[in-house]
Amino acid sequence: MLLKLSLSSMRKMMKDYLVLLIGLVISITIFYMFQTLALNGDFTKQNSVISSIQLVFNVGSVLLAFITFFYIFYANSFLLSLRRKELGMYMILGAKKRKISQILFLETLVLGIISLVIGTIAGAGLASGVGSLLMKQLDISLEGYQPFYLPSIMMTCGFFLVLFLLTSSVNAIKLARATELDLIRAEQQNDRVQRKGFATVLLALIGLAGLAAGYYALVHMEELREIGLFIAASATTIGTYLIFITLLPVFVNALKKNRVWNERKLNAFTFAQLRFRVNNLTKVLGTVAMLIALGVGAMAGGMAFQKNVSLMAEMGKVYDVIIHKPVPADYEALKAMTVEEQNTYRYKVDDAGIYYLKDDLLADPPLINTIGLEDYDPDNRVKRVSTSLPSKVYSVYDHPEENLGPDIESMPPDWQEAVTGEFINSYEMINGKAVRIVDQTTYSGIQGEERSVVLARVDDFLKYKQELKEIDERQTRLYADETGAEGPQLYSKYTTYASLYAFTSGTMFMGFFLGIAFLAMMASCLMFKILSGATRDKDRYSMLRKIGVRQEWLVGSIYKELFVVFVFPALIGLVHVLVGMNMFSFILEEPYVGIWVPISIFLVIYTFYYWITVQLYKGIVLPKEA
Amino acid sequence: MKASVLEVRDVQKIYGNRGESQSHALKGVSLTIQEGEFVGIMGPSGSGKTTLLNVISTLDRPTDGFIQIAGTDITQMKQNQLADFRSQKLGFIFQDFNLLENLTVYENIALPLSLQGVSSSEIAPKVHKVAQTLGIQEILQKYPVQISGGQKQRAAAARALVHDPAILLADEPTGSLDSKNAKSLLETMTDLNENHGVSIMMVTHDAFSASYCRRILFIQDGKLYTEIHRTQDRQQFFKQILDVLAELGASHDVR
Ligand SMILES: Nc1ncnc2c1ncn2[C@@H]1O[C@H](COP(=O)(O)OP(=O)(O)OP(=O)(O)O)[C@@H](O)[C@H]1O
Ligand SMILES: [Mg+2]
Repeated sequence: MLLKLSLSSMRKMMKDYLVLLIGLVISITIFYMFQTLALNGDFTKQNSVISSIQLVFNVGSVLLAFITFFYIFYANSFLLSLRRKELGMYMILGAKKRKISQILFLETLVLGIISLVIGTIAGAGLASGVGSLLMKQLDISLEGYQPFYLPSIMMTCGFFLVLFLLTSSVNAIKLARATELDLIRAEQQNDRVQRKGFATVLLALIGLAGLAAGYYALVHMEELREIGLFIAASATTIGTYLIFITLLPVFVNALKKNRVWNERKLNAFTFAQLRFRVNNLTKVLGTVAMLIALGVGAMAGGMAFQKNVSLMAEMGKVYDVIIHKPVPADYEALKAMTVEEQNTYRYKVDDAGIYYLKDDLLADPPLINTIGLEDYDPDNRVKRVSTSLPSKVYSVYDHPEENLGPDIESMPPDWQEAVTGEFINSYEMINGKAVRIVDQTTYSGIQGEERSVVLARVDDFLKYKQELKEIDERQTRLYADETGAEGPQLYSKYTTYASLYAFTSGTMFMGFFLGIAFLAMMASCLMFKILSGATRDKDRYSMLRKIGVRQEWLVGSIYKELFVVFVFPALIGLVHVLVGMNMFSFILEEPYVGIWVPISIFLVIYTFYYWITVQLYKGIVLPKEA
Repeated sequence: MKASVLEVRDVQKIYGNRGESQSHALKGVSLTIQEGEFVGIMGPSGSGKTTLLNVISTLDRPTDGFIQIAGTDITQMKQNQLADFRSQKLGFIFQDFNLLENLTVYENIALPLSLQGVSSSEIAPKVHKVAQTLGIQEILQKYPVQISGGQKQRAAAARALVHDPAILLADEPTGSLDSKNAKSLLETMTDLNENHGVSIMMVTHDAFSASYCRRILFIQDGKLYTEIHRTQDRQQFFKQILDVLAELGASHDVR
């Protein structure tokens, strides 16, 4: 009997449950997708690049789990609050609390299982779609990748079932503690929370100061480092909350105090509704603002790193191409590129060392990166080596140092940077050997294979990814053949670029999906919170209609009121993001690259939820026209 | 001769669509109210009083028939015209939930004027004037929760009258008041009617409230049953009303 009643009331609140369901499905879908990317064993084993992303997706799953936990918790207690009256009524009519708790528990579980089924299926779909998109972008074959992957399914189901069990138990406990009257009276809310005077002003000032401090820390992250991070996180959060608690109500009250405005059309009513909302929602709005900042920030951050990959790769090496022991195919490849500078240097290798011919080096002095050097100049990172080499032999990496004989000098730092930083593209090449620059006579006396290395700079290395990839593959094979090492690591500009690109793309993708999940859940929290007051507003709207307010004005009033509620956290959250991206300015050259993408995504999601909220709210409060 | 503010001819109201279970709430009602009249509508529960008031107040459309208020045929109006008409020509007092509890009494009273786009400098004197008429100047800055039930109904009356409506429509305005407050509200309404020329149509269950009217229309089963005029004093009229109600076989409805 009670079950029937509960079913019928659930049907009545279909829309609210649907919204909860959508939020859950989004969360589960994304969680599942992360899991397939993180757990797909065969797949990850085959791709060395992928394994670095794996970590990223695991971290993402954990973060997502956290948010989802709070979301479910929040949404559930909202739904419970919607039904308090009804439940209280059952209890007064003699239903046993235990029975009601059981039903609630069951409801949550059923809802959870439904969303799990939909979410997993949708997740598999998303995983095969998005996953392949990601892999395509990373030039990784999808061999071994299964969108429907049992361990991932089990992981997802297991995790969420625990989550549902937890939240439904908490709900049941909450209910068990409440008395019948508590439940029935739950709807009575206080309409006017007014805090005035000195305390407000003080809090507002503290809030502004907090925000200022937080922003300062964000902008000056480079000098402040860890302390800056701490200040930024805490001061911005506190500042945001205080501003929502103090300034927003003041702002709305100011609107209301303006007589001319207040007495225009429905404004008096709209502002009054708004005042109630901002007083009631201060903390929720503060949270939403922070989470918007985090969500958009995650997307923008991932994106910025990804866009800055080539810039970061540029920092590593000056030369785009390094070819030891070039073969005809390498020269072919070079011909296909627009080469701006190309130098060839001869050297010899024996068991003890690598010996560069000084004459070659001095004939075409190479370029180096000054980042690690004393005369580093951020505006002019690259310079040509100009230090003269009067002595016969210069050495670095000699073991032990005493080996340096009378004619051997320690290598000047810029030459050292050149022959170790620029010339060497794999550790396998040095492998504990000394590196020397020697004059012609010494060079001729050295027993050992003579080789050459070609260094080249092209107009834009991103144009020749295919050629560079092939060159690097030949170099890798060369080292593998010579040293017998398995899969020697290469440190060319291209390889650095490729692995950074994979990593940041993974981060970006995760940032995006995490951000989307975040925003969707946040916005629906806000929505639930707003809708939970809607039943109470019903009478107001019906009265307004009776005294002759046009339907379109009522609708307009709803749009306006909710717009203000939605727009404030969005504004503050976005300002946080814009200021916050400064934080990366010491790692990234252009932290704002493409920031419009995450912001647009945010705006689309947020607007969508705004619209849905207005529609649902309208459905609840607006009287049906005859 | 006075003009009629309200003319209702052969109004029918059928709830529910064809094919469903229909309820014939009004079966051809005709009535006329002259300017400055104070008319009561009485009848047993379910007889169609509220339905009649709703179609007159344009909140509901009649299925058939003709209704004219202050010279305007409202049956042909569009949705927005109806809303505007309500806000300009009609004043309402309901049994409860008359005031928006998140607005002050002043803001509540000013609302109809705001809706018509009256400028805020013109609003203030009008609100103060009507508040004075109803004796509620002291509570203008208070919120509805801070005032008594009787004061609330007065404030509702002020809101209903602030824009000089053609007719004041009241559905059980005393329904949730105690006898003292009810009496005071009815006296105020009488004063408005007699000294300020406000036309009033009031639906009520209660014979005592009805006795304040000058004329009472009785409905039964969606049809006009009879009407009586007040010729002598109120006491007499009260008895007369009880007689008709007894006749209607609805005396159990009378409080
Ligand atoms: N929205 C509606 N849909 C269907 N039938 C309705 C609707 N409103 C009223 N009725 C029916 O119309 C008839 C008249 O109802 P109305 O509310 O006008 O009665 P009333 O005289 O106001 O009664 P009371 O004194 O109890 O308020 C009743 O039979 C009622 O069941
Ligand atoms: Mg009625």
